[in-house]
Amino acid sequence: MKNSNTNSYDALKAVFFVVFILTFALANSAKAEYADIVINEYSDKAGMRPAVFPHWFHRIRFRCKVCHADLGFKFQAGGNDINMLKIIDGQYCGACHNGEIAWSVENCNLCHSGKPGTPTQVHDSTIQKLVSPTGK
Amino acid sequence: MKSDFYKYLSVTGIMLIMVAAETLAAPSVKSGKLIVEKNCAGCHVAGVMGAPKIGDKADWSKRAEQGVKLLISHSLNGFNNMPAKGGNSALSVTDVVNAVAYLLDVSGVKADLSKIKVKSAKTVAKNKTADAQKSKAGTPATTTKSIKVAKAKKVNKKTNVNKFNRLMKSKSEWNPPPAEDGIHDPDNEGTYALQTPKESFADMASNPFGNHIDWVKALNKNQIEPRFDRLDPNKKPFVLDLNIVREVKGSMPDVVYPHKQHTEWLDCSNCHPAIFIPKKGANQISMASILMGEKCGVCHGKVAFPVSECRRCHSKNKTKK
Repeated sequence: MKNSNTNSYDALKAVFFVVFILTFALANSAKAEYADIVINEYSDKAGMRPAVFPHWFHRIRFRCKVCHADLGFKFQAGGNDINMLKIIDGQYCGACHNGEIAWSVENCNLCHSGKPGTPTQVHDSTIQKLVSPTGK
Repeated sequence: MKSDFYKYLSVTGIMLIMVAAETLAAPSVKSGKLIVEKNCAGCHVAGVMGAPKIGDKADWSKRAEQGVKLLISHSLNGFNNMPAKGGNSALSVTDVVNAVAYLLDVSGVKADLSKIKVKSAKTVAKNKTADAQKSKAGTPATTTKSIKVAKAKKVNKKTNVNKFNRLMKSKSEWNPPPAEDGIHDPDNEGTYALQTPKESFADMASNPFGNHIDWVKALNKNQIEPRFDRLDPNKKPFVLDLNIVREVKGSMPDVVYPHKQHTEWLDCSNCHPAIFIPKKGANQISMASILMGEKCGVCHGKVAFPVSECRRCHSKNKTKK
C-alpha cells in the first residue's frame, strides 16, 4: 500500500515536471507572424540561412490564387521541391522574383534570413501548437 | 533646572523634526535624480525643442511661478513638445513628481520644494489605489483627473480581461519586428531590409487572432489591393456568391460556408476536387480533421483565420423545433 502511494506521488511529480517544462517551452516559443513559412530543405546543408516566406507580406500584394493556382505552389510547407536552379529558371518564387515584378535572386539574404537550424514549418499553425511545439 | 530641561527638550524636538523633514524630503529628490537621468536628461540637458535646461534657474522659476500643480500636470499629461511622462508611460505618478522635485531642486528653485512635498504626498495617497490596480493589471497607473486618462484606464481594463492566461499574447506583443520574432536571424542584414508587419498593418482592419488583421474586411474596404493575376493589376476575380449551410451535431451553431469570400482570394481549382468534392453531402468534415490540417484546415489554422474563431464559421444559430 505504502509502495503504491509513493509510486503515484512520483508519477504526480513527473507530470508536474512535464507540465512545467511544457509551459516554459511554450512561453519561450517564437512569436513570428502567423503563417510565416520557414523552408529549410536544403539551406542548412548548403551553409545558407533557411528561407523565410512571409505570407502576410505577399497577401497584401497578391491573392492566394496567383501562387497556389497559377504558379503551382502546393498547400504544404516543404511540399514543393524548390531550389535555386528552378527559381533562376523562372519557376516557383522565380516567376516574380526576377528583377521585374519583385527583386531578383541576387538579394540572397532578403529571403535567406532565418535562424540557422530552424526546421521547415508553418509558424503559429494549429498543428505546430498542438503536435510539435517548435521554434526557439 | 526645570527651564534647562525644557530647553533641552525643545532643541531635541526641533532636531528631530529637522531630521524627519530631511528623511521625508530626501528620498523624493534622490529617486527623482535617477528618474531624470534615465528619462528626462535626453531633452532637458541640451534643451531640445525648447525644453527647460536642467540648472537654468530663471527658466524653471518662471514655470514654477505658474504653480507646481500645473507643472506636474504638464509633466504627467504632456504639454507642447513635452510628451506625457517624458514618453515613458511605465513611470508612476510618484516617479514623475519626484523627477519634477529633483529638476526644481537642482535648478535652484527652492521656494516650491515644500509645496511639492505636500502635493506629492497627496497624490501618492490618492493614487495608492490606482498603483495597486496598476501592479495587478500590469499597465501604467494614471491618476490625473483628465478625461483622456480616464478613458485610457477603461480601455486598459477591457484589454486585460484575459491577462490571466499567460499563453495569450498582449497587444504590445503582436506583430513584432522580424529581428525579434524568433525565426529570423537578427545577425542577418536582410532581416531589417523589408517592411515590418506593424508598418504594413497600420491602416488595416484588426482582428484578435492570426496576423491580428481581418484580411477579408481589409480587402472589402479596399485597404489592400492584392492582384488576382501575376502581371495584370486590373484582372478581377470570378466571384461566386453561394452559401453552403452545413448542419452540425450538438448545440454548436450550423456552419455557413460562403463561396464569396473564398473566391475573392482563390481559384475553384484550389479546393475542388482535391480537397472538397463539389457535391453536397459528399464531404465528411470534422473538427478533428480540420485541427490536423485537412479539409478547411488546409488553410484555416495555417494562413487563413485560425480555428479559435469558432463563430466565424459556426455562424447560423439553430432554429428551435
